[in-house]
Amino acid sequence: MPETRKMICCKCNKELEMIKTDFSYLGHSFFTEVPKCPECGQVFIPEELARGRISEVEMQMEDK
Amino acid sequence: MNEAKVLYKTWSVCPVCLKRVPAERVQVGSGVFLWKSCPEHGSFTTLIWRGLTDINEWTGNSEVPAAEDPKCPDQCGLCGDHLQETCCVLLNVTNRCNLNCRFCFADNEATTIDPSFEEIVQSLNNLIEKGKTLVQMSGGEPTMRDDLPEIIAAAKEAGARYVQLNSNGVRLSEDRDYVKKLAEAGLSFLFMQFDGTHDEIYRSLRGKPLLDIKKRAIDNCAEFNIGVTLVPTLVRGINTDQIGEILRFAIAGSPKIRGVHFQPVTYIGRVPENPTEKDRFTLDDLLAEIQAQSDGLIKSENLLPSSCDHPLCGFHGDFIIGQHEVIPLLKRSKPVKNCCCTPTPADKNREFVARRWQRPAADQTNENACCGDVHDMEYFLDRVKSHGFTISAMAFQDAGNIDFSRLRRCSLHVYDKGKMVPFCAYYLSAWKQ
Repeated sequence: MPETRKMICCKCNKELEMIKTDFSYLGHSFFTEVPKCPECGQVFIPEELARGRISEVEMQMEDK
Repeated sequence: MNEAKVLYKTWSVCPVCLKRVPAERVQVGSGVFLWKSCPEHGSFTTLIWRGLTDINEWTGNSEVPAAEDPKCPDQCGLCGDHLQETCCVLLNVTNRCNLNCRFCFADNEATTIDPSFEEIVQSLNNLIEKGKTLVQMSGGEPTMRDDLPEIIAAAKEAGARYVQLNSNGVRLSEDRDYVKKLAEAGLSFLFMQFDGTHDEIYRSLRGKPLLDIKKRAIDNCAEFNIGVTLVPTLVRGINTDQIGEILRFAIAGSPKIRGVHFQPVTYIGRVPENPTEKDRFTLDDLLAEIQAQSDGLIKSENLLPSSCDHPLCGFHGDFIIGQHEVIPLLKRSKPVKNCCCTPTPADKNREFVARRWQRPAADQTNENACCGDVHDMEYFLDRVKSHGFTISAMAFQDAGNIDFSRLRRCSLHVYDKGKMVPFCAYYLSAWKQ
């Protein structure tokens, strides 16, 4: 998410903040900071994170 | 008295004349045996599974009928009945060796002349699919050749994705410049014979003390960023009590040591005598011993049956060596998933193993990160690349336990005279009379 752009939660109308968030995949949990609504907890996963680190974690965790 | 229950009908060979004979996997009590009889040489029984893990859970629903082609495995080269593509190709570059081991699957005639460099390049050009092939330099002892760096460079030039060296480590321990040349030529990783952590084992199996030699070879490879996977040959009465020690040694050596690939001894090639029932060390023996001898550091539930080859042919586990712990990445499910569920399981298998066996370039990871939380996505990604670790096993087949339904799913092939031949068919040898 470019730093200059603010993102607003569509439900709460609050500005998203970079907050440490837990992810789980195949029984393992990971955390990283993502834009998150401080009120309802809804998160926004930027495309570069999904195609980048998250995809890499999935690839590393995969069985043959 | 236990009743015999036929689990599966397959084909095998008579261990004496190597003629194809029908065979059955039969459960008697908890053990599973391969039963077969030859009209000329009588009946044979070989233990193939101890029953410490349920064989049906382990193999799942993976079975396909054994090959019906009456030529199988004579005149073997991959045929229409073969069910698996090539994952790794083994190329013999010499018959010479600098050891004289008690067991040797190759048991080559050291007097034969090595193939010329030009002949090897021709073979490489024939066998390599650009950007895909994992070729294993094998022998004999491949480091007997001074031109091995040039051969590795030629393999890379021909488009090999990975080049693996199978070695006893002797020359690699003595000749640092040679190791440097192998690295510069593009060697991807080393599979090094490593049978235990004390010299009595090497005296017994290899004829001389070799532990310090192995350690020096590992250090020389580390200097040039060549990942080393340890390959113990497990022989009952000699080193099957060393499994835990080998694992602890390997884990302490991470990241220069990338994993351990156990091979229960197979009675092919040069063997001191034909095996008896008590000599057999089955895959489920190994699973149990890994957990017991590692004091639970490695649990057998984190070791999964082979999905590329037949489940009775091997297993694999994927781990991260943390600062104070060994973190498993895979867990066996019930029922066991036996299909790679991709159109090209051999391709997937190759990438899986290579991503751990190969050390990343120094600028691609932060190997020296002193601390971190493995749940932190950034740290996990760094650590899994730098300190990824595999524990795997392969149970090769011999004239006693060869089962064509396993052979048909083999993805480790030997290249010879224009043909790809499954490993266990290529090296199959009759028992001594």
